[in-house]
Amino acid sequence: MTDPEPEVEKVFIGGLHERLVEDKIIEESQLDPNFSKEIRKYGGKDVMTCLQCGNCTGVCPISLKIDYKTRMIMKYCQFGLKKYTLDTRWVCATCYRCYEHCPADLNPAEVMIALRHIAIREGIIPPFIKTAATNLVRYGQSVKPDPEIDKIRIELGLKPIHTHDADYQTVIREIQVLVHASKYDKLIGIQDEVKV
Amino acid sequence: MTAPAPQEKHIETSDPTKGAGDGAGSKIGVFICHCGSNIAGVVDCGKVREAAEKLPGVVVVKENNYTCSDLGQAEIIKAIKENGVQRVVVASCSPRLHEPTFRKCVQQAGLNPYLLQMVNIREQCSWVHSHEKEKATEKAANLVQMGVSKAAKLKPLEAREVPVEPTSLVIGGGVAGIQAALDLANMGFKVYLVETQPSIGGKMAQLDKTFPTGDCAICILAPKMVELSRHPNITLLSYSDVEEVKGYVGSFEVKVRRKARFVHEDKCVGCGLCAEVCPVKVDNEFDLGFGQRKAVYIPFPQAVPLKYTIDKENCLHFKSGKCLLCVKKCSNQAIDHDMKDDILTLKVGTIIVATGYDTYEPTRKGVYKYWEYENVITGLELERMLNASGPTGGRLIRPSDGNPPKRVAFIQCVGSRNKKIGNNYCSRVCCMYAIKNAQIVMEHEPETEIAVYYNDIRAFGKGFEELYHRVREDYAVEFIRGRPAKLTLDPKTKSIKIRAEETLLSKITEREFDLVVLSTGLIPSEGSKRIGKILRLTQSPDGFFMEAHPKLRPVDTAMDGIYLAGCAQSPKDIPDSVAQAKAAASSAAGPMFARKVMIEPLTAVVNEDLCQGCGLCVDLCPYSAPELVPGVKGGMRAHVIEALCHGCGTCAASCPQKAISPMQFTDDQIYSEIQAALTETTRRHSPKKKAEAEVSP
Repeated sequence: MTDPEPEVEKVFIGGLHERLVEDKIIEESQLDPNFSKEIRKYGGKDVMTCLQCGNCTGVCPISLKIDYKTRMIMKYCQFGLKKYTLDTRWVCATCYRCYEHCPADLNPAEVMIALRHIAIREGIIPPFIKTAATNLVRYGQSVKPDPEIDKIRIELGLKPIHTHDADYQTVIREIQVLVHASKYDKLIGIQDEVKV
Repeated sequence: MTAPAPQEKHIETSDPTKGAGDGAGSKIGVFICHCGSNIAGVVDCGKVREAAEKLPGVVVVKENNYTCSDLGQAEIIKAIKENGVQRVVVASCSPRLHEPTFRKCVQQAGLNPYLLQMVNIREQCSWVHSHEKEKATEKAANLVQMGVSKAAKLKPLEAREVPVEPTSLVIGGGVAGIQAALDLANMGFKVYLVETQPSIGGKMAQLDKTFPTGDCAICILAPKMVELSRHPNITLLSYSDVEEVKGYVGSFEVKVRRKARFVHEDKCVGCGLCAEVCPVKVDNEFDLGFGQRKAVYIPFPQAVPLKYTIDKENCLHFKSGKCLLCVKKCSNQAIDHDMKDDILTLKVGTIIVATGYDTYEPTRKGVYKYWEYENVITGLELERMLNASGPTGGRLIRPSDGNPPKRVAFIQCVGSRNKKIGNNYCSRVCCMYAIKNAQIVMEHEPETEIAVYYNDIRAFGKGFEELYHRVREDYAVEFIRGRPAKLTLDPKTKSIKIRAEETLLSKITEREFDLVVLSTGLIPSEGSKRIGKILRLTQSPDGFFMEAHPKLRPVDTAMDGIYLAGCAQSPKDIPDSVAQAKAAASSAAGPMFARKVMIEPLTAVVNEDLCQGCGLCVDLCPYSAPELVPGVKGGMRAHVIEALCHGCGTCAASCPQKAISPMQFTDDQIYSEIQAALTETTRRHSPKKKAEAEVSP
């Protein structure tokens, strides 16, 4: 591989709180009144019905590890703080525990997915997503095959992954056709990798 | 200006063929209301008037700014008296709003009040078509045309009068039922109060103190309970269930099952000797399982009537046929193990439903671990514990070890404002009872630390906000805005750790408490569900009884003569329940004072010659108005009890023989409306448009 493996950048995990603290006053011009509608368009329905009880934050497994508040993201979405929300939504594991506990019966996990859709379309793409997508079209899986893993596979009596096999190449080609047809390659910026 | 209406004649010719001499050829007056700009702002009323003037039979057409005003009504009266108008069409708002107004007006002018036809050109026209003015005008003209065509077929009807028995039945002996019964009795009416429990008092009797004033609940309720039991006009039927209600406003026939309490009420003096010797101890339901009672018991010391009851399920005599210690002890021979249920039949004129509420029971597998951790209790359980006559004598303890808790947490909105469990509504009392209980706990044990986990604090009533302020100022009760996510138990100390996001801090907090109180919401009671079925009352989606109008008829139901009081209608606090009970009593007193009610003649009428007695209408009617009776020429025939019929038309629509027709909505009348709707008379734009279309290419 020519390019070095990009690290998961901190901004795409946390950082939300710090950035808001920097801005002492939020001008109205920074708010996007149509943000909730946009989220709804990508499947994050009823974002406006959130009661801000914080139950989702309490049950979120991610919130134990990093400064990540599901409730606060819902508030930002209601408020129209688009610019703060788009680069931080990739840590959600979509375990749906928030949905299970929400008394207002809304689904924060789906809002997170909608935010990812919007972020990608706005061109805010974290490097690790690009890497995963590149791996997908190159090797047919989002994790790069590793000689170390092959060693373990042989020890366990499994076949190593032969990415140069004809069968394997056919599958990868099929994936590339799909990725190209769905315009996913263009969206994520990996057109060069897809040879269709 | 407008194109001629060649089809006009069509209607005219169709009229006399079916009219059969009723309204055919009668003079019709049309009154078009502007309703300020509500209608005139959208509909061109002038055009509607012009169109109406051309309609057959129409002799007067008037436009008014407000037809419902004195001026507008005078116009109608004038037209009837001077122009000889025989049928009145008012094109204005919904008949639900002003039909009674105009009926009275028509009657005042000497015409039968049912010779009025309302045409709704506001709700069903101008309001919904505010962006399409031309089409709205066209529609209004069409609707008027339909109304006029129906008006020609209206028949005079007479409202019927039925007598009203000056006796009332109050179902439920909580504070609302007690108040309603007392008010009616004080007005001089006879009242039967039916309560399913051995004692009246309801949920209020279980409470410790009342918010926001801190009055002792039973101390203010007990005098009312005693007054009720001694009132000469009130017959108290405790430990009884309403089984069946037949009839209609003025003369309901009610079957009441007096459950056998195995103690003769007339002989028992409430001395309690029987309970002293009774060897069986069981959990007392009144104390929600915290305290115990005997198998022969009164639920609480202030019970009214102060008559003991034997619990058949636990009494040794019913299990083994032996014991009878209580019988030996009772000096009045009041105890009778062979007592049977008794059925009473009451005749009453009005019914007040005050069947109250139950508290929400947290789910077994819920996050709040009510069923798993001993030290998680509900608000009502805390009330019993704080109550001086309760199981702990007013001492607050941890159920796990009996020690007083040092740290207490309240969790709000358990079972209310939760879409997941289908209880979308706010229970209205939980905020305040938690705050009030926090205050009482602090008064008992000033060293206690109290935290209230809340979503929103709703301190909306008189003196509520002040109490909310007081518990923070005087007792430093902490309010944490956040819904707890997880409760974990410390197996050694049995303390409970609550994890929640303190949303105003935007931090997740984990704090330990000795006792957790769930502020459970209010749900419709089991009794409500049963009584609702018996009385065929409608319920709103949350399961509480539906009032006739949410604002203007809050205690009436869709059934005449049946009224609502207290939490059966919606969650409410004690002052609101009492206020509603007083309102229900005054509403029920109306027909009982008058000794008669007028029954709308808009009922279904059966044509006996056509009816074959299939009974479909009997099964389908939501008000059980039709019944099968032997016909004059033999066989069974349907007969509609007018006082029960609401004229909904279900029977008429379903009748395979077309033997039933609802007055004012007969097939003939409806067909004439449809026919008018289908004619082209008022579609003045169509020919013009056609002409344009021909020119344009």
